[in-house]
Amino acid sequence: MHQVSHDVLIIGAGLTGMRAALEIAPGVDVAVLSKVHPVRSHSGAAQGGINAALREDDSWENHAFDTVKGSDYLGDQDAIEIMCREAPSAIRQMEHWGVIFSRADDRRIAQRPFGGAGYPRTCYAADRTGHALLHAMYEQVMRRGMQVYEEWFLTDLVVEDGVCQGVVALDIPTGELILCRAKAVVLATGGYGRVYRTSSNGLVNTGDGMAVAYRAGAPLTDMEFVQFHPTTLKSNGVLITEGSRGEGGVLINAKGERFMTKYAPHAMELASRDVVSRAEQTEINEGRGVDGCVLLDMRHLGREKIMERLPQIRDLAIKFAGTDPVEVPVPVRPGAHYSMGGIRADNDCKSPLEGLFAAGECACISVHGANRLGGNSLLETIVFGRRAGAAVNDFIGGRPMPRPGQHHLTDAAGRIEALLDHPTGERAGALRRELGTVMNRSVGVFRTRDVLAEADRVAARIARRAQRLWVMDKGRTFNTDLMEALEFQNVTALARTIVAGALAREESRGAHFRQDFPRRDDAKWMRHTLAEYTPDGPKLSYGEVRKTKYEPTERSY
Amino acid sequence: MRYAYYTGCAAKGVCPELHESTLAVAKALGMELVELTASSCCGAGVIGELEHDTQLAMNARNLALAENLGLDMMTVCGTCQGVLSRAHKELSDTATRERINQVIAEAGGIYDGRATPKHLLWVLIQDVGLARLEQKVVRPLTGLKVGPFYGCYILRPSDYLSFDDPYNPKSLEQVIRALGAEPVDYSGRTKCCGFPIVLEQEQNAMRMVGTNLLEAQDNGADCLVTPCPLCHMNLDIYQTRAEKEMRRPIGLPILHLPQLVGLALGLRPSALGLQRNMVDTSPVVAQFA
Amino acid sequence: MRVEIEIERGCPAEGVETHRERFRVEVPRHVTVLDTLIQIKDDLDGTLTFRRSCRSAICGSCAMRINGRSGLACDTLVESELRRFGHLLIQPLAQMPVTKDLAVQMAPFWRRVRAVKPWVTKDGEEPSWPVERESLMEQHHVEEMDDASRCIMCMACFSACEVATVDERFLGPAALAKAYRFVADPRDSERTERLTALNGSGGYWDCTRCNQCVEACPKDVKPMEAIVNLRRDAIRAGLTDTIGSRHITEFISIVRQEGRLNEGRMPMKMKPNPLELLKVAPLALRMLRKGKLPLPYHPPIPRVREVRRIIDRKKGST
Repeated sequence: MHQVSHDVLIIGAGLTGMRAALEIAPGVDVAVLSKVHPVRSHSGAAQGGINAALREDDSWENHAFDTVKGSDYLGDQDAIEIMCREAPSAIRQMEHWGVIFSRADDRRIAQRPFGGAGYPRTCYAADRTGHALLHAMYEQVMRRGMQVYEEWFLTDLVVEDGVCQGVVALDIPTGELILCRAKAVVLATGGYGRVYRTSSNGLVNTGDGMAVAYRAGAPLTDMEFVQFHPTTLKSNGVLITEGSRGEGGVLINAKGERFMTKYAPHAMELASRDVVSRAEQTEINEGRGVDGCVLLDMRHLGREKIMERLPQIRDLAIKFAGTDPVEVPVPVRPGAHYSMGGIRADNDCKSPLEGLFAAGECACISVHGANRLGGNSLLETIVFGRRAGAAVNDFIGGRPMPRPGQHHLTDAAGRIEALLDHPTGERAGALRRELGTVMNRSVGVFRTRDVLAEADRVAARIARRAQRLWVMDKGRTFNTDLMEALEFQNVTALARTIVAGALAREESRGAHFRQDFPRRDDAKWMRHTLAEYTPDGPKLSYGEVRKTKYEPTERSY
Repeated sequence: MRYAYYTGCAAKGVCPELHESTLAVAKALGMELVELTASSCCGAGVIGELEHDTQLAMNARNLALAENLGLDMMTVCGTCQGVLSRAHKELSDTATRERINQVIAEAGGIYDGRATPKHLLWVLIQDVGLARLEQKVVRPLTGLKVGPFYGCYILRPSDYLSFDDPYNPKSLEQVIRALGAEPVDYSGRTKCCGFPIVLEQEQNAMRMVGTNLLEAQDNGADCLVTPCPLCHMNLDIYQTRAEKEMRRPIGLPILHLPQLVGLALGLRPSALGLQRNMVDTSPVVAQFA
Repeated sequence: MRVEIEIERGCPAEGVETHRERFRVEVPRHVTVLDTLIQIKDDLDGTLTFRRSCRSAICGSCAMRINGRSGLACDTLVESELRRFGHLLIQPLAQMPVTKDLAVQMAPFWRRVRAVKPWVTKDGEEPSWPVERESLMEQHHVEEMDDASRCIMCMACFSACEVATVDERFLGPAALAKAYRFVADPRDSERTERLTALNGSGGYWDCTRCNQCVEACPKDVKPMEAIVNLRRDAIRAGLTDTIGSRHITEFISIVRQEGRLNEGRMPMKMKPNPLELLKVAPLALRMLRKGKLPLPYHPPIPRVREVRRIIDRKKGST
């Protein structure tokens, strides 16, 4: 056990975390902490693109409107305006840092159409935009010789006197626990897709930052809003980018019908994701699916276009679905993909807990409201990563280095010892599958009260069982068995907030669809759900949605 | 079985025993070889490093020479085969072929993509056939433990060379068995001999040579067989240098593919040029001739 | 289907020496090696340690040796491995010390990557905010960088690299491919500096062109081709004072003259120092006696003019 001190500590080295670190003023001692090597972060898996109103005949106001509408009017409009206004500069700065964007004939950054957008404003790097951004970002981190604690796992926030004073982290390679003091902590830990059995997310996406903040008293916002991406592969939930539809791919059912005509006659396959996912699920539930899926047909795009614009997804389809999209349609279905909800944060990424900032997917500011548009997540990372860094610069001026007690460390050590002490019990893997299956079935695209209520009970039980997991690996060095157990405890806490929020919200909005309350109810429910931790489960309250100039209307595509 | 015989440079220069043994074996197996005397060096990948299209054009010309005879091309060098297989694949693209044909139009003719380059090793398996080869064996090499050394370019990149599994090739082992000998398994069989850097970084190349030879020997090999004369050069001509680098004596005879085949077919060792190999082959030859 | 999988394990820090263990598991047909490892860890042996995340060949975490081949566990199907090799042996990547089981220390790899200064360097200052415009770039530059920029830093190529196995100084395929990505980037202002810095020991001339990296790479980066491109660009930039570059130019000159490569002439051209030549004299004599030493001058092949015409032609953009 030992201690480190930095002025600023950033947890998470994906796009958001690294962007925040790069914004910290020179001379300030900043360190990044990540449970995986930075380039392993799930930001790298984002495929399709990043939005900005770059062109003269587009405008950030249009982008903002599309985003507000996409959010089904739950997004905070001032935050959305900030994001869309800063988008062009944010992307051009990344280009300046070396990102290799695909180019249009006029040599400017190329853009393609994407779901829910009224203009083709999604910039892309073939079909590996996240990868391109992530590696360029890490190159800048290497260039500045920034301190990165690789494979350190966040176990606790250190909070004393209502102020966040640092974190406790487990150094996975050595097994040591470290107390990390800091004047400011930025959480940039990404989403919680692994709460669901099938998800496009990497296995590391267990929402650790959200869970740790939640347990430390920071509220989580809008957790019931889970984005189900319309085109994930059946076998493993791996993502097939929206870009495949942006480039002209179409969705057909077992009868060969382009069924989106029934659900979104104008935007068709490029309606917003929740609309498309529900359309697919309806087709499947009503017996017009193919083996639990619908078909994504790209054959008409031709081999050359697919090889040029969508080569990675072709490889994925061949490898994991055994189908070559050049010749055969790919079976796809909705899969848990993105967490609209997260740690409550304001437009400067400040959480209600002093000294704690949150940005990126782990935060909820809220720019995505009830449903996120494709291409806005990558955008969120670099816009709010930067804003978090800037806000931290302002915040730490003149603040002394905190001196939290050692008990934070010994408490964490005690909990871990207790966990390691169980000689037998339930394995995290089995429980993870059990919980994931319940979430898939009961808290998916379509929800109803009774099913949710049962899921609530099950989730609570599983959360209790997760306190007595059996960790088989008792060693110190690189104990990923222990890490996975701790991760699963985070997952169970988050699952409870998702179910509770879904059960309480008696309306349908964006990605949250109640079959027993199928209409949007602005009068009662145009408000954010806030979940606060109690030992008995999440305590819900509600907060206002901030409006600027967009009046809520009926949302159709 | 008639082939346009592409010798490559080594068989006509530093490894004349390869050429000799190829002719002898071809005759014994009833293969008619028409030597492409006007064929140039394939570039060995070296020319292509600086001038991609030059190397490609030279090989389009080489393939055109075979095509003009109405024959497929047979190679006896793994490196030539790798380069030519790749050229053949690149030239299967119409736009590339048109561009390159413009270059060679006045320099050897046009290549239509019909002549295919095939290594002697593949010819033995596909065209002669292992069963027929076995029938022709007069002197089964019983008890001889032979380590196959494939060399890089007849295996990789597998996108261009589609004959063998690059990580678990079988063709040399199959031929070795057909000849009555016993193949030796060792991890170096698919590794690099280091020839491309023997001038630039001799020590590294010698470590590679030495490691592979010693591994084969420690696994019981009496000799190695290789389908590439450049590998042969590094493993045979440079073997004493490898011994110095590894500080261990080795003394492992290295046979060209047709030398091993010829021995089993009952041909005279001198007809196979076995006296030319730098590491004395008589321990092997003495057992069977 | 029932599968037997053998895994190389160990943990030096805890005194557990390298050893192999066998596991027997029941798995679905279309399962990947990674799925199988996860199943073993979840249900049979929680101490089995490996890195993993995305399961879709983009994060690079799960690189390991599978039946001797360096590659990703998440995109390797168990069934096809069994078909090809008859068994399933899993080992950690080579070239790097093992921390535990299949998790290796990545430092030797990243040290080499850092050594090529893997970031775009520009003249002038950072653009001020708001950033009004991006730099303009032709799509063909994007395509030129496409292969190298696809790299996910999984370390499979480095594990497979034959020169890295014998020479600690060699930067390796991933680092050099990354260097090429910047050499080919029109926005980078240090092209010549990069080529010069990597021109010597440990750089792009040390590659033995064995294609192991090309074969191993799960993303079709073709690192060796990037290395060859660096060589080409170096020569064109006038960096010709290396054995490697002389090797190429002399090779071309000999072939131009004779139509074939006269191997007898190469060493003389490469090592003009008479003392060096003296060292090889005994070997040369032996070769001469065995008829393996080509004459220093050899008559050219028939129709050599055709070859010369190809080599001498005015080149366009290639």
